[in-house]
Amino acid sequence: MNPDFEELVGTDLDPAERARLERVHDLLVAAGPPPDYAAPVRLPLAEVVELRPRRRAALVAIAAALAVALFAFGAALSDDSTRSGAPFPGTIAMEGTTAAQSASASLEVLDRDAAGNWPMTFAVEDLAPAASGRPFELWLTRDGKLGALCGSFRTDEKGAAVVPMNAPYDFSEYNGWVVVEEGSETPLLTT
Amino acid sequence: MQRVELPEPTDGQLIARVAEGDHVAFEELHGRYSRAVLGLALRRLGDRGRAEDATQDAFVAIWRSARTYNPDRGKGAPWLYAVARNAITDGLRRTPEPVAEPQDGPGREPDPADEAEASWTAWVVHRALEALPDHERPVIELAYWSGLSQSEIASRLAIPLGTVKTRTRSALARLADALEGELA
Repeated sequence: MNPDFEELVGTDLDPAERARLERVHDLLVAAGPPPDYAAPVRLPLAEVVELRPRRRAALVAIAAALAVALFAFGAALSDDSTRSGAPFPGTIAMEGTTAAQSASASLEVLDRDAAGNWPMTFAVEDLAPAASGRPFELWLTRDGKLGALCGSFRTDEKGAAVVPMNAPYDFSEYNGWVVVEEGSETPLLTT
Repeated sequence: MQRVELPEPTDGQLIARVAEGDHVAFEELHGRYSRAVLGLALRRLGDRGRAEDATQDAFVAIWRSARTYNPDRGKGAPWLYAVARNAITDGLRRTPEPVAEPQDGPGREPDPADEAEASWTAWVVHRALEALPDHERPVIELAYWSGLSQSEIASRLAIPLGTVKTRTRSALARLADALEGELA
Protein backbone atom coordinates (compact mmCIF):
# COMPACT_ATOMS: atom_id res chain seq x y z
CA MET A 1 0.00 0.00 0.00
CA ASN A 2 1.32 3.42 -0.90
CA PRO A 3 1.90 5.90 1.92
CA ASP A 4 -0.47 8.76 2.42
CA PHE A 5 1.15 11.90 1.05
CA GLU A 6 -0.70 14.13 3.53
CA GLU A 7 0.64 12.12 6.43
CA LEU A 8 4.17 12.36 5.05
CA VAL A 9 4.38 16.09 4.49
CA GLY A 10 1.55 17.58 6.52
CA THR A 11 -0.78 20.29 5.31
CA ASP A 12 1.20 23.46 5.89
CA LEU A 13 3.36 23.50 2.76
CA ASP A 14 3.02 26.25 0.24
CA PRO A 15 1.30 25.02 -2.92
CA ALA A 16 4.37 25.14 -5.15
CA GLU A 17 6.51 23.16 -2.74
CA ARG A 18 3.68 20.75 -2.12
CA ALA A 19 3.35 20.10 -5.86
CA ARG A 20 7.10 19.58 -6.14
CA LEU A 21 7.12 17.04 -3.34
CA GLU A 22 4.00 15.31 -4.62
CA ARG A 23 5.75 14.80 -7.93
CA VAL A 24 8.57 13.04 -6.08
CA HIS A 25 6.00 11.03 -4.16
CA ASP A 26 4.48 9.84 -7.44
CA LEU A 27 7.91 8.98 -8.83
CA LEU A 28 8.80 6.95 -5.75
CA VAL A 29 5.56 5.03 -6.05
CA ALA A 30 6.13 4.46 -9.77
CA ALA A 31 9.76 3.40 -9.34
CA GLY A 32 9.03 0.85 -6.67
CA PRO A 33 11.61 -0.31 -4.18
CA PRO A 34 15.24 -0.60 -5.13
CA PRO A 35 16.43 -4.17 -4.69
CA ASP A 36 17.82 -5.05 -1.31
CA TYR A 37 21.47 -5.00 -2.19
CA ALA A 38 22.90 -2.81 0.51
CA ALA A 39 25.64 -5.09 1.75
CA PRO A 40 27.30 -5.91 -1.56
CA VAL A 41 27.02 -2.29 -2.61
CA ARG A 42 29.04 -1.23 0.37
CA LEU A 43 31.71 -3.84 -0.04
CA PRO A 44 34.77 -3.05 -2.08
CA LEU A 45 34.28 -4.69 -5.44
CA ALA A 46 37.18 -7.00 -4.72
CA GLU A 47 35.19 -8.63 -1.96
CA VAL A 48 32.09 -8.94 -4.10
CA VAL A 49 34.15 -10.67 -6.74
CA GLU A 50 35.74 -12.90 -4.16
CA LEU A 51 32.40 -13.91 -2.68
CA ARG A 52 30.78 -14.65 -6.02
CA PRO A 53 33.29 -16.43 -8.26
CA ARG A 54 32.44 -16.12 -11.89
CA ARG A 55 31.92 -18.79 -14.44
CA ARG A 56 33.88 -17.36 -17.31
CA ALA A 57 37.61 -17.43 -17.26
CA ALA A 58 38.02 -14.10 -18.99
CA LEU A 59 35.89 -12.33 -16.45
CA VAL A 60 37.75 -14.01 -13.63
CA ALA A 61 40.95 -12.54 -14.99
CA ILE A 62 39.48 -9.04 -15.04
CA ALA A 63 38.00 -9.47 -11.60
CA ALA A 64 41.31 -10.68 -10.25
CA ALA A 65 43.07 -7.63 -11.65
CA LEU A 66 40.49 -5.35 -10.04
CA ALA A 67 40.73 -7.29 -6.80
CA VAL A 68 44.49 -6.86 -6.63
CA ALA A 69 44.24 -3.15 -7.32
CA LEU A 70 41.44 -2.58 -4.85
CA PHE A 71 43.17 -4.67 -2.20
CA ALA A 72 46.22 -2.47 -2.57
CA PHE A 73 44.00 0.58 -2.20
CA GLY A 74 42.31 -0.88 0.86
CA ALA A 75 45.58 -1.74 2.50
CA ALA A 76 46.67 1.85 2.09
CA LEU A 77 43.70 3.13 4.02
CA SER A 78 43.81 3.37 7.74
CA ASP A 79 40.11 4.21 8.01
CA ASP A 80 38.53 1.22 9.67
CA SER A 81 35.24 1.71 7.91
CA THR A 82 36.16 0.08 4.65
CA ARG A 83 36.39 -3.64 5.20
CA SER A 84 33.49 -4.72 7.37
CA GLY A 85 30.78 -4.21 4.84
CA ALA A 86 29.86 -0.54 4.89
CA PRO A 87 31.24 2.91 5.28
CA PHE A 88 30.14 4.01 8.71
CA PRO A 89 27.88 5.44 9.86
CA GLY A 90 25.52 3.60 7.58
CA THR A 91 23.00 0.80 7.30
CA ILE A 92 23.85 -2.76 6.41
CA ALA A 93 21.30 -5.25 5.11
CA MET A 94 21.44 -8.89 6.11
CA GLU A 95 19.68 -11.74 4.37
CA GLY A 96 18.56 -15.10 5.65
CA THR A 97 20.61 -18.14 4.69
CA THR A 98 19.05 -21.46 3.70
CA ALA A 99 18.71 -22.11 7.43
CA ALA A 100 16.38 -19.10 7.79
CA GLN A 101 15.36 -18.21 4.28
CA SER A 102 12.62 -15.72 5.04
CA ALA A 103 14.60 -13.80 7.64
CA SER A 104 16.03 -10.38 6.96
CA ALA A 105 17.67 -7.74 9.08
CA SER A 106 19.17 -4.31 8.99
CA LEU A 107 21.99 -3.03 11.09
CA GLU A 108 22.18 0.71 11.44
CA VAL A 109 25.62 1.80 12.59
CA LEU A 110 25.54 5.28 14.07
CA ASP A 111 28.27 7.83 14.60
CA ARG A 112 31.15 6.61 16.68
CA ASP A 113 30.81 7.86 20.25
CA ALA A 114 33.38 9.76 22.27
CA ALA A 115 34.72 6.54 23.71
CA GLY A 116 35.38 5.14 20.27
CA ASN A 117 32.50 2.66 20.27
CA TRP A 118 30.02 2.19 17.46
CA PRO A 119 26.40 2.40 18.67
CA MET A 120 24.15 0.28 16.46
CA THR A 121 20.49 -0.56 16.05
CA PHE A 122 19.82 -4.08 14.88
CA ALA A 123 16.34 -4.85 13.50
CA VAL A 124 15.38 -8.33 12.38
CA GLU A 125 12.20 -9.75 10.86
CA ASP A 126 10.87 -13.23 10.20
CA LEU A 127 13.45 -15.02 12.29
CA ALA A 128 11.45 -17.53 14.32
CA PRO A 129 12.59 -18.01 17.91
CA ALA A 130 15.07 -20.87 18.20
CA ALA A 131 13.47 -24.23 18.99
CA SER A 132 16.21 -24.75 21.57
CA GLY A 133 15.13 -21.62 23.43
CA ARG A 134 18.60 -20.18 23.10
CA PRO A 135 19.06 -16.55 22.04
CA PHE A 136 20.59 -15.42 18.78
CA GLU A 137 23.89 -13.60 18.48
CA LEU A 138 25.23 -11.00 16.08
CA TRP A 139 28.92 -11.47 15.27
CA LEU A 140 31.49 -9.68 13.20
CA THR A 141 33.24 -12.22 11.01
CA ARG A 142 36.70 -12.50 9.58
CA ASP A 143 37.01 -14.54 6.40
CA GLY A 144 33.75 -16.31 7.17
CA LYS A 145 34.64 -17.24 10.76
CA LEU A 146 33.13 -15.79 13.92
CA GLY A 147 35.34 -12.96 15.10
CA ALA A 148 33.74 -10.64 17.65
CA LEU A 149 30.39 -10.82 19.42
CA CYS A 150 28.31 -7.65 19.08
CA GLY A 151 25.27 -8.68 21.10
CA SER A 152 22.55 -11.22 21.82
CA PHE A 153 18.84 -10.98 21.20
CA ARG A 154 15.61 -12.92 21.13
CA THR A 155 12.82 -12.53 18.62
CA ASP A 156 9.14 -12.31 19.44
CA GLU A 157 6.49 -14.74 18.25
CA LYS A 158 6.41 -12.92 14.92
CA GLY A 159 10.15 -13.35 14.51
CA ALA A 160 10.92 -9.69 15.03
CA ALA A 161 13.27 -7.80 17.29
CA VAL A 162 14.81 -4.35 17.45
CA VAL A 163 17.88 -4.26 19.60
CA PRO A 164 20.36 -1.50 20.45
CA MET A 165 23.92 -2.76 20.40
CA ASN A 166 27.36 -1.32 20.74
CA ALA A 167 30.56 -2.51 19.11
CA PRO A 168 33.86 -1.50 20.66
CA TYR A 169 35.81 -3.09 17.83
CA ASP A 170 38.13 -1.94 15.10
CA PHE A 171 36.03 -2.81 12.07
CA SER A 172 39.07 -2.98 9.83
CA GLU A 173 39.86 -6.35 11.35
CA TYR A 174 36.63 -7.89 10.07
CA ASN A 175 34.91 -8.30 6.74
CA GLY A 176 31.35 -9.38 7.42
CA TRP A 177 28.48 -9.85 9.85
CA VAL A 178 26.52 -12.93 10.73
CA VAL A 179 23.68 -13.99 13.02
CA VAL A 180 23.91 -17.41 14.64
CA GLU A 181 22.07 -19.26 17.37
CA GLU A 182 23.99 -19.12 20.64
CA GLY A 183 26.49 -21.98 20.75
CA SER A 184 26.28 -22.57 17.01
CA GLU A 185 28.41 -21.39 14.12
CA THR A 186 25.77 -22.01 11.47
CA PRO A 187 24.91 -18.67 9.87
CA LEU A 188 21.23 -17.76 9.93
CA LEU A 189 21.67 -14.29 8.43
CA THR A 190 24.66 -12.87 6.64
CA THR A 191 25.66 -9.65 4.90
CA MET B 1 42.33 25.11 10.59
CA GLN B 2 39.16 25.58 8.60
CA ARG B 3 37.80 22.42 7.09
CA VAL B 4 36.85 22.76 3.44
CA GLU B 5 34.03 20.55 2.18
CA LEU B 6 34.79 19.46 -1.36
CA PRO B 7 31.81 19.16 -3.68
CA GLU B 8 30.80 15.62 -4.51
CA PRO B 9 32.12 14.63 -7.96
CA THR B 10 29.51 14.27 -10.66
CA ASP B 11 28.88 10.94 -12.31
CA GLY B 12 30.58 12.26 -15.43
CA GLN B 13 33.69 13.26 -13.51
CA LEU B 14 33.84 9.82 -11.93
CA ILE B 15 33.48 8.10 -15.31
CA ALA B 16 36.31 10.23 -16.65
CA ARG B 17 38.49 9.15 -13.74
CA VAL B 18 37.52 5.52 -14.26
CA ALA B 19 38.67 5.90 -17.86
CA GLU B 20 42.10 6.71 -16.46
CA GLY B 21 42.08 3.56 -14.33
CA ASP B 22 41.03 5.23 -11.07
CA HIS B 23 39.77 2.40 -8.85
CA VAL B 24 38.52 4.75 -6.15
CA ALA B 25 36.27 6.46 -8.65
CA PHE B 26 35.09 3.08 -9.86
CA GLU B 27 34.22 2.06 -6.32
CA GLU B 28 32.31 5.31 -5.85
CA LEU B 29 30.30 4.67 -9.01
CA HIS B 30 29.66 1.14 -7.83
CA GLY B 31 28.30 2.52 -4.57
CA ARG B 32 26.06 4.99 -6.34
CA TYR B 33 24.64 2.64 -8.93
CA SER B 34 24.75 -0.97 -7.72
CA ARG B 35 21.14 -1.05 -6.60
CA ALA B 36 19.97 0.79 -9.68
CA VAL B 37 21.81 -1.65 -11.95
CA LEU B 38 20.51 -4.64 -10.04
CA GLY B 39 17.02 -3.19 -10.22
CA LEU B 40 17.34 -2.82 -13.97
CA ALA B 41 18.62 -6.38 -14.28
CA LEU B 42 15.85 -7.76 -12.08
CA ARG B 43 13.27 -5.93 -14.15
CA ARG B 44 14.68 -7.49 -17.30
CA LEU B 45 15.64 -10.96 -16.06
CA GLY B 46 13.34 -11.63 -13.15
CA ASP B 47 15.68 -14.09 -11.51
CA ARG B 48 17.78 -12.74 -8.64
CA GLY B 49 20.84 -14.90 -9.27
CA ARG B 50 21.01 -14.07 -12.95
CA ALA B 51 20.40 -10.42 -12.17
CA GLU B 52 23.33 -10.32 -9.75
CA ASP B 53 25.58 -11.88 -12.39
CA ALA B 54 24.31 -9.34 -14.91
CA THR B 55 25.02 -6.54 -12.46
CA GLN B 56 28.60 -7.64 -12.20
CA ASP B 57 28.82 -7.89 -16.00
CA ALA B 58 27.46 -4.37 -16.22
CA PHE B 59 30.14 -2.96 -13.94
CA VAL B 60 32.86 -4.75 -15.84
CA ALA B 61 31.40 -3.17 -19.00
CA ILE B 62 31.44 0.25 -17.35
CA TRP B 63 35.07 -0.26 -16.39
CA ARG B 64 35.99 -1.33 -19.90
CA SER B 65 34.08 1.31 -21.82
CA ALA B 66 34.58 4.37 -19.63
CA ARG B 67 36.93 5.80 -22.25
CA THR B 68 34.06 6.02 -24.69
CA TYR B 69 32.16 8.45 -22.47
CA ASN B 70 32.02 11.93 -23.93
CA PRO B 71 30.76 14.56 -21.47
CA ASP B 72 29.86 16.86 -24.36
CA ARG B 73 27.15 14.40 -25.37
CA GLY B 74 25.35 14.28 -22.06
CA LYS B 75 25.40 13.55 -18.35
CA GLY B 76 26.88 10.45 -16.81
CA ALA B 77 23.63 8.84 -15.66
CA PRO B 78 22.19 8.20 -19.15
CA TRP B 79 25.55 6.85 -20.34
CA LEU B 80 25.75 4.48 -17.38
CA TYR B 81 22.16 3.42 -17.98
CA ALA B 82 22.90 2.62 -21.61
CA VAL B 83 26.05 0.65 -20.84
CA ALA B 84 24.34 -1.29 -18.07
CA ARG B 85 21.26 -1.99 -20.17
CA ASN B 86 23.41 -3.23 -23.06
CA ALA B 87 25.48 -5.45 -20.78
CA ILE B 88 22.34 -6.95 -19.33
CA THR B 89 20.90 -7.54 -22.79
CA ASP B 90 24.17 -9.10 -23.99
CA GLY B 91 24.11 -11.45 -21.02
CA LEU B 92 20.56 -12.39 -21.87
CA ARG B 93 21.64 -13.32 -25.38
CA ARG B 94 24.40 -15.56 -24.06
CA THR B 95 22.13 -17.33 -21.61
CA PRO B 96 18.58 -17.05 -22.94
CA GLU B 97 15.65 -16.97 -20.61
CA PRO B 98 13.75 -20.20 -20.07
CA VAL B 99 10.78 -20.48 -22.38
CA ALA B 100 7.86 -18.82 -20.66
CA GLU B 101 4.43 -20.33 -20.33
CA PRO B 102 2.12 -19.04 -23.08
CA GLN B 103 -0.08 -16.22 -21.86
CA ASP B 104 -3.75 -16.00 -22.54
CA GLY B 105 -5.37 -12.99 -24.11
CA PRO B 106 -4.01 -9.85 -25.67
CA GLY B 107 -2.25 -7.00 -23.95
CA ARG B 108 -0.20 -9.06 -21.52
CA GLU B 109 3.14 -7.98 -22.95
CA PRO B 110 4.17 -4.56 -21.70
CA ASP B 111 4.61 -1.91 -24.32
CA PRO B 112 8.38 -1.58 -24.94
CA ALA B 113 8.23 2.22 -24.83
CA ASP B 114 6.37 2.17 -21.53
CA GLU B 115 8.76 -0.41 -20.18
CA ALA B 116 11.77 1.67 -21.22
CA GLU B 117 10.30 4.77 -19.59
CA ALA B 118 9.54 2.86 -16.40
CA SER B 119 13.07 1.46 -16.33
CA TRP B 120 14.59 4.89 -16.77
CA THR B 121 12.33 6.37 -14.07
CA ALA B 122 13.33 3.64 -11.64
CA TRP B 123 16.98 4.16 -12.59
CA VAL B 124 17.09 7.86 -11.77
CA VAL B 125 14.90 7.55 -8.69
CA HIS B 126 16.99 4.74 -7.25
CA ARG B 127 20.17 6.65 -8.03
CA ALA B 128 18.78 9.73 -6.27
CA LEU B 129 17.89 7.61 -3.26
CA GLU B 130 21.49 6.48 -2.97
CA ALA B 131 22.55 10.11 -2.71
CA LEU B 132 20.34 10.79 0.31
CA PRO B 133 22.11 11.14 3.64
CA ASP B 134 22.14 7.92 5.61
CA HIS B 135 19.81 9.34 8.26
CA GLU B 136 17.17 10.29 5.67
CA ARG B 137 17.13 7.29 3.35
CA PRO B 138 15.63 4.84 5.88
CA VAL B 139 12.58 7.03 6.57
CA ILE B 140 11.76 7.07 2.86
CA GLU B 141 12.34 3.37 2.34
CA LEU B 142 10.34 2.40 5.42
CA ALA B 143 7.46 4.70 4.46
CA TYR B 144 7.22 3.73 0.83
CA TRP B 145 8.25 0.11 0.72
CA SER B 146 7.80 -1.31 4.18
CA GLY B 147 4.33 0.12 4.64
CA LEU B 148 5.14 1.72 7.98
CA SER B 149 3.32 4.77 9.28
CA GLN B 150 5.30 7.74 10.53
CA SER B 151 4.70 6.61 14.11
CA GLU B 152 5.88 3.11 13.30
CA ILE B 153 9.00 4.49 11.65
CA ALA B 154 9.72 6.56 14.75
CA SER B 155 9.40 3.44 16.85
CA ARG B 156 11.48 1.32 14.48
CA LEU B 157 14.31 3.83 14.29
CA ALA B 158 13.98 4.89 17.93
CA ILE B 159 13.73 8.57 17.03
CA PRO B 160 11.02 11.14 17.85
CA LEU B 161 8.01 11.37 15.54
CA GLY B 162 8.87 15.01 14.82
CA THR B 163 12.30 13.94 13.62
CA VAL B 164 10.72 11.41 11.26
CA LYS B 165 8.50 14.11 9.80
CA THR B 166 11.38 16.54 9.43
CA ARG B 167 13.60 13.94 7.78
CA THR B 168 10.81 12.85 5.45
CA ARG B 169 10.16 16.37 4.20
CA SER B 170 13.84 17.07 3.89
CA ALA B 171 14.44 13.82 1.98
CA LEU B 172 11.56 14.49 -0.43
CA ALA B 173 12.85 18.01 -1.06
CA ARG B 174 16.35 16.67 -1.64
CA LEU B 175 14.97 14.10 -4.08
CA ALA B 176 13.00 16.82 -5.86
CA ASP B 177 16.21 18.83 -6.29
CA ALA B 178 18.07 15.78 -7.59
CA LEU B 179 15.35 14.71 -9.99
CA GLU B 180 14.63 18.11 -11.47
CA GLY B 181 15.90 18.05 -15.01
CA GLU B 182 16.36 14.27 -15.04
CA LEU B 183 12.72 13.50 -15.71
CA ALA B 184 10.33 15.46 -17.87
